[in-house]
Amino acid sequence: MSASAIDTGLLERAVRNLPGDSLTALRKEAAARFAETGFPTTRHEDWRYTNLAPAIELSNLWLRESAPVVADARPSDVARKLAADIAGRIEAHWIVVANGVVDNESLARLEDQALAGFRAVSVAGDSAPRPTTGDEPMTRFNTALLRDLLHITIGADCNLDKPVGLLLIDDADGAVTLSQARAIVDVAPNASVEFIEYHASTGDHSSFANVVIELHLASGSAVDYVRIQDRDEAHYQVGRMMADMGRDTTLRHAAFDLGGALVRNDVSIDLAHPGASVELYGLYLASGTQHIDNHTRVDHRVGPATSNEEYRGILSDRARCVFNGKAIVQKGADGTDARQANHNLLLSAKAEVDTKPELEIYADDVKCSHGATVGQLDKNALFYLRSRGLDREYAAKVLTRAFAAAIVARSPVRNANSHIEALIDERLQVIVGDPA
Amino acid sequence: MLEIRDLKARIGDTEILTGLTLTVDAGEVHAIMGPNGSGKSTLAMVIAGHQDYVVTGGSVHYMGQDLLGMDPEERARIGVFLGFQYPVEIAGVNNAYLLKAALNAKRRTAGEPEVDAFEFLKLAREKMKLLDMDQALLNRGVNEGFSGGEKKRNEILQMAVLEPRLAILDETDSGLDIDALRAVAQGVNSLRDPERAIVLVTHYQRLLDYVEPDYVHVLSGGRIIRSGDKSLALQLEEKGYEWVREAVNA
Repeated sequence: MSASAIDTGLLERAVRNLPGDSLTALRKEAAARFAETGFPTTRHEDWRYTNLAPAIELSNLWLRESAPVVADARPSDVARKLAADIAGRIEAHWIVVANGVVDNESLARLEDQALAGFRAVSVAGDSAPRPTTGDEPMTRFNTALLRDLLHITIGADCNLDKPVGLLLIDDADGAVTLSQARAIVDVAPNASVEFIEYHASTGDHSSFANVVIELHLASGSAVDYVRIQDRDEAHYQVGRMMADMGRDTTLRHAAFDLGGALVRNDVSIDLAHPGASVELYGLYLASGTQHIDNHTRVDHRVGPATSNEEYRGILSDRARCVFNGKAIVQKGADGTDARQANHNLLLSAKAEVDTKPELEIYADDVKCSHGATVGQLDKNALFYLRSRGLDREYAAKVLTRAFAAAIVARSPVRNANSHIEALIDERLQVIVGDPA
Repeated sequence: MLEIRDLKARIGDTEILTGLTLTVDAGEVHAIMGPNGSGKSTLAMVIAGHQDYVVTGGSVHYMGQDLLGMDPEERARIGVFLGFQYPVEIAGVNNAYLLKAALNAKRRTAGEPEVDAFEFLKLAREKMKLLDMDQALLNRGVNEGFSGGEKKRNEILQMAVLEPRLAILDETDSGLDIDALRAVAQGVNSLRDPERAIVLVTHYQRLLDYVEPDYVHVLSGGRIIRSGDKSLALQLEEKGYEWVREAVNA
């Protein structure tokens, strides 16, 4: 057993230790399939810049020491307090998942409100588990150790007064934590919903969260989605969001990565029906030795459909970020309009970004564009602001903030924006420094 | 107010200013004219403190203080203003935000209280009216998507709000149609004041029909080769820059 692989004996033991329920068979199958591959390594093209070794080490430690004793289904007091704090900042119908365990109290609160067309259940106790999609190693790992599967349905008559919020908290106080969170969101024909996926962590130890979200958009439905990742600096994260888009559906997605030590996000969009429209926006702010990797994949299988993507990054110190955006236009997907852009601001000579927007086009009648930039603050803009009396540091901060603001302006869940702006300002204070 | 002596400056390896001497007193309007490449914009950039321009000799004093030792922001805060030939577009930085930050930076330096949002808006709107500017431009990104004329008006708006003691306007007239030129000239004229000096850097005589200078200087080869009153500008318009160069060389 090499140090850089998951101990499958420990994994099997942990799977056995989970409560026997409707997910048991699924877990065992996933564990067996995961054992065939283990974690992806830097030998995989899609993972060449992101080394999960620290997350593997943490996982083995957790499997050895903590997994046998996990039983408590209630979030810790610290996690509850953090959840209350975030809920106080963004108005939403919050569902709390702490250390991979769905907080049933948060579900009960929503149930009490009897929101028309809205249903959220934790499937562990349910009789009929859904077969889950996705066959990537990290998704298998998620399924193998999944304690609760969250299933959210948005009915056609659903007319929520505020967004649905999924609050993923990891509390690593006293010991490392490994958590698997999984949500399936079914959106009925012609329904619409706003969704917030919020990541936070606390505690004096490292944590590793492996998150899988599945969105199923039935024809004519619309989803506005924002992911806010504000984890601690000792947190590792692998996240995957998959969306399959029905006919004439709309998905607007924005992702903000502000924290974490090692973060890898995959967004995978399946455009198998005509008339779909996808917008993907992302902003990553990295300082110190943070590593943030964003991979997106948009699969245009039929046309007409549009995808528009823009990710931006601001890096300082020795931060390292990766962007890989792939748009595939399959044969016959005529009428496809696919755009992709990635812009990076490097505030330090030692920061590094690897960016690769990719287009694979097998259809004829398409409009596609892609582009990437990596640069410093515009010298002339900086001089212009200074010539108006703004000092250098302040001018740099104003320009950096403006660079980030372009993505906030695109973020579709409006009532999360002021909190996102506050988080960005806080991070920029660290990245650019205080205005004098 | 402004005392430039034997100023030499280069950008990259190219010597642009080769020994420029100029004195500007409070209350005066000076026009600096010259052909392309004579060093007009370099002079403006050096006074404002652009880092790409390296001063290799001479001195620049403003109100008795050594300007060359100061950061661009320090110069701005003590009352030096450069109206840019090519104002930069800065997406995402609100025009009003910049204007207010600039005004308050200057007021802090002068020991004056900062203006609040209400006072600021009142002031900005008043100045925009004077320049016949669309008020909506206040809430756009700085110069973002502005037409050429709107950009130049925006420079004059900043000057009007900041009320500098020394204003250098670099080719503020270039690219303006007649209406914009009139509006800009009106803005400049409204700022003429016994306490204030204005230096107009221009290629053409056109602006000087609207803003009458007290002195006209001809810049060539990186230094001033001839100075006179406004009639010099008219002669230049008529006879061209070659005429001055020949006259000087003769």
